[in-house]
Amino acid sequence: MVTAEPKLPSELPISQPRHVGKDSPRMEDPLLLTGKVEYGNDIRTPGMLHAAILRSPHAHARIKSIDTSRAEKLAGVAAVLTGKEVKDWSRPVFGVPEGWTGYALAVEKTHWVGEPVAVIAASDRYIAEDALELIEVEYEPLEPVVDALKAGSASAPNVLEGKDSNIAYDRRFVFGDVDGAFASADLIVREQFRWHRSSGNPIETCVCIADWNPFNGMLTLRGGHRSPHLILPALVISLGISSQQVRIIQSPLGGSFGVKTFARYVVLIALMAKKLGGRQVKWTEDRIEHLIGNSSHAWDRHYDCELALKSDGTIAGMKMQLVDDLGAFAEWLAIGMLLKPLLCLGSCYHIANVDYSCKGVITNKTPQGPLRAFGLPPHFWVIEQLIEIAAKKLGLESNEVRRRNFIKKDQFPYVSPSGNVYDSGDYEASLSLLLSKAGYDELRREQEAARAQGRLVGIGVVSSIEPGLTGPPMLALASPRIFSRTSSPEGILLRIDAFGKIIAELGFPPGGQSQHSFVRQILADYLGVALEDVQVITVDSLSMQPSTGPISSSMAIALSGAVLGAAARLTDKLKRAAAVMLEASADDVELFDGQFHVRGVPGKSLAVAQVAQFMMARPDLLPEGVDGNPQATYVWNPPDRTIPDEKGFGRYSVTAAGAQHLCMVEVDRETGQVKILKYVMVDDCGVRLNPSVVRGMLMGGMAHGVGTALLEEYVYDDKGQMLTSSYMDYLMPTIMEVPAAEEHEMCTPSPIAPLGVKGVGEGALHTTPAAVLCALNDALEPLGVRITEAPMTPLRIWQALQTRASHQTTE
Amino acid sequence: MKPAKFDYYDPRSLEEALTLLETHQGDGKVLAGGQSLMPLLNMRLARPKIVVDINQIKELNYLRASDGGIAIGAIARQRALQTEKLIAERVPILQEAAYFIAHPQIRSRGTICGSIAHADPAAELPALALALDAEMTLTSAKAARTVGAETFFQSFFTTALEAGEILTEVRFPAPPKDGAWSVLEISRRHGDFAIAGIVAGLALEPNRQVIARARLVYFGVGATPIRVKAAEEALIGQAALEPAFEAAAQSARQGIDPSNDIHASEEYRRAVAATLTKRALRAALQKLGKN
Amino acid sequence: MATTRTVKVRVNGVAYEQTVEARKTLVDFLREDVGLTGTNVGCEHGVCGACTILMNGEAVRSCIMLAAQADGAELMTVEGLAKPGGELHPIQEAFREKHGLQCGFCTPGFLMTTYELLNKHPDADEEEIKEWLSGNLCRCTGYQDILESVKLAASRLRNR
Repeated sequence: MVTAEPKLPSELPISQPRHVGKDSPRMEDPLLLTGKVEYGNDIRTPGMLHAAILRSPHAHARIKSIDTSRAEKLAGVAAVLTGKEVKDWSRPVFGVPEGWTGYALAVEKTHWVGEPVAVIAASDRYIAEDALELIEVEYEPLEPVVDALKAGSASAPNVLEGKDSNIAYDRRFVFGDVDGAFASADLIVREQFRWHRSSGNPIETCVCIADWNPFNGMLTLRGGHRSPHLILPALVISLGISSQQVRIIQSPLGGSFGVKTFARYVVLIALMAKKLGGRQVKWTEDRIEHLIGNSSHAWDRHYDCELALKSDGTIAGMKMQLVDDLGAFAEWLAIGMLLKPLLCLGSCYHIANVDYSCKGVITNKTPQGPLRAFGLPPHFWVIEQLIEIAAKKLGLESNEVRRRNFIKKDQFPYVSPSGNVYDSGDYEASLSLLLSKAGYDELRREQEAARAQGRLVGIGVVSSIEPGLTGPPMLALASPRIFSRTSSPEGILLRIDAFGKIIAELGFPPGGQSQHSFVRQILADYLGVALEDVQVITVDSLSMQPSTGPISSSMAIALSGAVLGAAARLTDKLKRAAAVMLEASADDVELFDGQFHVRGVPGKSLAVAQVAQFMMARPDLLPEGVDGNPQATYVWNPPDRTIPDEKGFGRYSVTAAGAQHLCMVEVDRETGQVKILKYVMVDDCGVRLNPSVVRGMLMGGMAHGVGTALLEEYVYDDKGQMLTSSYMDYLMPTIMEVPAAEEHEMCTPSPIAPLGVKGVGEGALHTTPAAVLCALNDALEPLGVRITEAPMTPLRIWQALQTRASHQTTE
Repeated sequence: MKPAKFDYYDPRSLEEALTLLETHQGDGKVLAGGQSLMPLLNMRLARPKIVVDINQIKELNYLRASDGGIAIGAIARQRALQTEKLIAERVPILQEAAYFIAHPQIRSRGTICGSIAHADPAAELPALALALDAEMTLTSAKAARTVGAETFFQSFFTTALEAGEILTEVRFPAPPKDGAWSVLEISRRHGDFAIAGIVAGLALEPNRQVIARARLVYFGVGATPIRVKAAEEALIGQAALEPAFEAAAQSARQGIDPSNDIHASEEYRRAVAATLTKRALRAALQKLGKN
Repeated sequence: MATTRTVKVRVNGVAYEQTVEARKTLVDFLREDVGLTGTNVGCEHGVCGACTILMNGEAVRSCIMLAAQADGAELMTVEGLAKPGGELHPIQEAFREKHGLQCGFCTPGFLMTTYELLNKHPDADEEEIKEWLSGNLCRCTGYQDILESVKLAASRLRNR
């Protein structure tokens, strides 16, 4: 019998949690602070070769010839890999829907500026880059497709060979009676929105080290990739390698934000390793490669949306048509970012009737890849902006409209029109908390006073949810063959060594979210030992239990599930040994405060370590079926998810964290420059296992959101050349642009997830863009100006103000 | 992102450096602070055959008083603008402007002369040189010559420096004590190159009402820093009040030559330059009031 | 030969002498030739600040300096902050306590910038601290906890 999973920290077998729920110090920090951590790029072995990648200068071109002979002759160059070998040795890179990608290297055509065309391996990176310059490629430029709205037309050239269109995915999902809702509505507002592409940009770029031994056939990969068990199928499919021949050893990640799967480059460097016949090769992506070439751009969207309301502000229905420019390939799981809105079409609001259509279009731009919050931030912005517009037209305060439509506290668990379940929440209370903490009424008075002086001050108050732990069910809508699964397994192995110390082996790599520390916190409380007595390590892909790794705000949910499950199993085993020592029946023995004792009998008790050591020392005394090995594994899976039906109705995720943000901005009407005057957030991510870690992630997500709303954008010209290929032009927010935000906690524990947690890692990025952008439009409102393009740069704001000014003069 | 090969020399004397440059004709690049050159080398956008690193030439490392103003040697760092008392005393606007130049880690290496020689039209120091009538000493193996800022800056990243010459010294005369200066810029983020910027100088007649002298120099809005004399003339002899500032702003809008890029359009830059004109003049006037 | 260069430096108090290609950047020299990999490479064009080290006591970006330029210099990297016995520097302690780091990749750059800042301006106010840190990018923390860390370190160093 396995002990039931604790649904709250108070259910842990301890009188008072000492670490869970507290600002426990992080075990990752000492190495990170002293420069002693070993990131992928820090790995250097004798004889290691270094790869550099030649990239296409054209958005769309036929490769007429490649001459690598001069490069091969350069001293220090070990090998040159070109498309011909890649075509012979591999299949196109993995992506869904299947069939919309190319090879890891361009073979006959190049499809975007920055697409890999050849790879050099040399004794150092300097020489490898010298050799790149000696490769002669003759290109025949072709007409590029750069406008997603025109890419689908019959006259547009096809980006991918063998395809008769550029539309990789086109699907409509209708829930409820949308026509009826619109027919009976008192007000319909319609608006178009444009969201430009940006990306996660971890400060550490991607690193892959490959060694493909020709004698035993083992492919060993090291470096900064996450989720080995997710990358593995991509390798098996592309390389035709047998899965047990692949070992992936993860280094700590210098941030990921979705980027660090980079399966295409793992395939590419593995192929280079194959060519090298047993020599190890390292590829460290440089920043320009990251900006132009990595499949990490995300959300290049055109929206056309309608919201239907009753005169009292009740939202009757919503129509949303979305065209997303996927770039040159529908690569990896990028299509999922079009599907994730299905989990939460109505955000925090009960919108019974929704018509959602999404189209993924192929163009000659960098392929999209996973990005933190996986497609939801634009969705929430669009909804919040539509509510603002509608509220003005109805003469209602927009927060009143929000309140009227919030899913109510007593409606949880709430089944959304698309079948997904929100576990818990109290949006009304969260909003009230936000408004009172921010001093909302006073802020509105300040705004009035500022407006009276001609200043452009605006306030945005927005809401969103953050689905925790999504995954395969949603992707079944793009590839039922591969993703008709409800699982997202997360497993650990837990053992006690001969000295009575605890060791947990995970699939999760350290990557900033305190992965190891929080496993340690839970185990220390569960087993009643000191933090220092717990070791947590990440093991390689052949050693680890089934593991999904850091996706979709999953850590606190899935990893605590795995830890608690393994701890329960281990406890159960120890209990049976303790029963021998205590001369009692195992059913009467319990673990509490780190001691095994006979229930209801005070006196004799045994520490976990004592029992474990007894097990190892005296297997002869153990009951039948109990071995002398104090260890347990547990693979946690999300409960209750379902495979969606053909209409898109399914239960997709586990938790739904809720967030309410307030942003106050001032726009300089002469220059379009924006200053954030105040930023306050309330987040309900259920129980916080380590409050300062949660707060840190929320602050980081907020900063990311500020970048997305105001600064970050990949810009292409009409030939498909990317104009933002360095950090001089792709503008990451610095400490000067990110506001000092306040963060307040709301807690409705999840009744579903272990310990009452909800996923929060993607966090404020869901909400901040909407808050900033709605605040900006509120600032511009007295001038009758509305901007529906993000990021809202000073130039865009100024241009909008000019358009308005010129209208005034002509009127 | 690694530099291509080059021959590297770090001569200990100016003479040696100049000989190297002369010997290698146009194939050499002078490396001072390197804060612009090194990124270009890393990206292989600059591919000199030889790099002449002048950082070891101690004779070029100075910032000293000269004819009432200051003389700055080729390897004096931008950070000195913030830390040297002499700057605060004689040309305080340089100290104020340093805040806009990138970040502390850049200013610790970047040189004042290097920024002027690099002549990025969106950089602060070239505009300050023009606004403050700085003089540059250009030295070659054969001779040294002095060039005023108004002829030094020729186009985008192009100056009067010829192959074989090093900008060995810039001299900023101390501006007359009866004037006040202000520097302002608009950039996407703090420390970025300016979308548009201004260095404005203002002096009043003894009656403290009428503008006696004005100097308006813009950066980020043309191929070089641009002095707009028409805008200055719109101020001189006028009451130091908004109408004159507005007239100067409108004149500046026409007197600059901005271009389009992803961060700003030509029209936007014109508008911002006009706005900055008024703001900078108000700031200068305020400083005069405090004198 | 002018394409190579013998570089003599002291790094964290230890003398090193290595012959490297003249084009080698200082950060690559530190990581590959000296073997100190605590200094990270984030952009190689002088924007992100991850590679910040101290050269003769001043914070510089080691990705946009040549190793050859450090010849004769006294360098300090993140490895030089803590005492060899394992005692963290007060700046490191403060970052740990105030959760001024998440993934840690940008952290060495922030620590080294902070080191010079607090050395030269022990009384720096919030605006000065921000300006000093404005040349270091962090994607994880949103900067607020970094700011708090620096303030805490400043107060402790002042009272030491």
